[in-house]
Amino acid sequence: MRPKTKKILFSFSLLVFLFFYIPILFVIIFSFNDSKLGTVWTGFTLEWYGSLFQNKQLISATMNSLYLAVVTTIIATILGTLAALALHRYTFIGKKSVEFLFYIPVVIPDIVVAVALLAIYGLLNMSLGLNTAVPGHVAITISYVMLVVLARLSSFDSSLEEAAKDLGANEWQTFWKVTFPLIFPGVLAGALLAFTISLDEFVISFFTLGPGDNTLPVLVYSMVRLGVSPEVNVLSTIIIAIMFIVVFFVGLRMRKGGTAK
Amino acid sequence: MSVQMVRLENVIKEFDDSIVVDNLSLDIRAGEFLTLLGPSGCGKTTTLRMIAGFEKPTTGKILLNGKQVDDMEPYKREVNTVFQSYSLFPHMTVFDNVAFGLKMKKVGKEEIKERVTKALKLVQLEEYGNRKPKQLSGGQQQRIAIARAIVNNPKVLLLDEPLGALDLKLRKQMQLELKHLQQTLNITFIYVTHDQEEALTMSDRIVVMNKGKIEQIGQPVEIYERPQTRFVADFIGQTNIIEGTVSEINGDLATMEFAGQTIQIPNANHVELNEEVFISVRPEKMKVSRTPFEGAINLKGTFKEKIYVGSVTKIVVTMPNGKNLTINESHDKIEDLTDTSDELFVSWKPIHSVVLKK
Repeated sequence: MRPKTKKILFSFSLLVFLFFYIPILFVIIFSFNDSKLGTVWTGFTLEWYGSLFQNKQLISATMNSLYLAVVTTIIATILGTLAALALHRYTFIGKKSVEFLFYIPVVIPDIVVAVALLAIYGLLNMSLGLNTAVPGHVAITISYVMLVVLARLSSFDSSLEEAAKDLGANEWQTFWKVTFPLIFPGVLAGALLAFTISLDEFVISFFTLGPGDNTLPVLVYSMVRLGVSPEVNVLSTIIIAIMFIVVFFVGLRMRKGGTAK
Repeated sequence: MSVQMVRLENVIKEFDDSIVVDNLSLDIRAGEFLTLLGPSGCGKTTTLRMIAGFEKPTTGKILLNGKQVDDMEPYKREVNTVFQSYSLFPHMTVFDNVAFGLKMKKVGKEEIKERVTKALKLVQLEEYGNRKPKQLSGGQQQRIAIARAIVNNPKVLLLDEPLGALDLKLRKQMQLELKHLQQTLNITFIYVTHDQEEALTMSDRIVVMNKGKIEQIGQPVEIYERPQTRFVADFIGQTNIIEGTVSEINGDLATMEFAGQTIQIPNANHVELNEEVFISVRPEKMKVSRTPFEGAINLKGTFKEKIYVGSVTKIVVTMPNGKNLTINESHDKIEDLTDTSDELFVSWKPIHSVVLKK
């Protein structure tokens, strides 16, 4: 590449990174800000970190979010992986249509899913609670899991399964000893995607949660309506830190898995 | 040697609407090295996959050591397969790959270690147990695939073009190694290949297949020297196919008219008068000269070209009807045959004409 082109490309990349990370950096810095208004720097404090952990509302919302994310991830990962295996392995009438139906939730607006679920719950006369958000979360994450696992399966050599059976492994053993370990990176990636999407989900949660049940995004939304409090900054900082650590370790693991292949 | 190990009875395999294996019956003896040979799409791999259990015959029976197995799952059959692409498990070490079959059979840990070590030793890779398959060369991976199969002491070892991905030199070496391995272990080998030279080198018997049917079964020398059909003659090695009409029958010999000349042919297949017949004559059985040989068939033609191919020189002679015959001669014998207008005699002994079935 020519030096000049390289320079332009570098500057451009830098700008993109700054655009991504400066707001996040501000959030982190202002989580240590002494001022209650959060727009002017007045001094360093850890006060908000302390008060966050006293905030019962926030803690219960965090627990709700984690609960929803874990349940969603488990259901979506199992169903999505099974769907991917079925689509990969079998040919049946209407297979293309079924595959197409799995792409729909990726492009459909969340609000549609939310309203539809609400309508069904109304029809069934169900009262809303924490678990009424689960179907919506699963509905929007299952496609991602399926797509990621399907992508992994497309590079999977099915003669390996034949080799396992040839060596005396039944269907069950073949799956757990050969198929699953080899598609595991895809399953893990799908699960992480489902987890983060669920953790982040606002619209469906907002519509389908019971009146007393908040998730983090829903709670933060109600908090910022009264102005960005330093506690929100602290919460964001902690979430950023956790996600950073998770992504770092997953990346490390994937890399190791990659070379071991 | 006469104990029957694998028996196929009227096996038909259809995929969608096409018949891939067409009413195939075959007996394979214990301890035999049998090769299924044919062009791609002839049904040889499908036949192998049906014996392994990956495909079920549409109709017909498959017997393994006397037991009917055509509905049995692959993991219950006492056969093991060496796959074309090796199909080693990438996430396991070489040792675990080879140990896989024994672990599935719940063999004790000590015995597994002993048998795997022995199998790795047999393929000369005992020091590679801790490596991952990706860290080995193609030839080494091939050996691991063989070790992984034979460690289970299968009754029958199925090999699906196992040497196809190797370079020529390694392939030649592995051919001999496999043959020796088969003799040492005394396991029945069923080997699939489209490489006729490979088949001739390794096999006790060759089954030549075409369009889902068996063209001929025989020892390599029979297949090469006495092909029964035009397809076999053409597919195995090089040959000259000559078409003519029977004009005279005289006991064990018959005479065939070809391009205004006569060719004496053996009458082993009982030809009839005025019948159209094909004969096959191998290029190395023919000679060229300026004068006819006594007691041989001599066809007059004109020199067309000569092609030096190293071990021999190929001479192409055009017959009066335009048909080209190819003759292999040693290079020094034909140095003076360069004039393209030369009239030459192509000669061979009548016993070297092989009459082919229609």
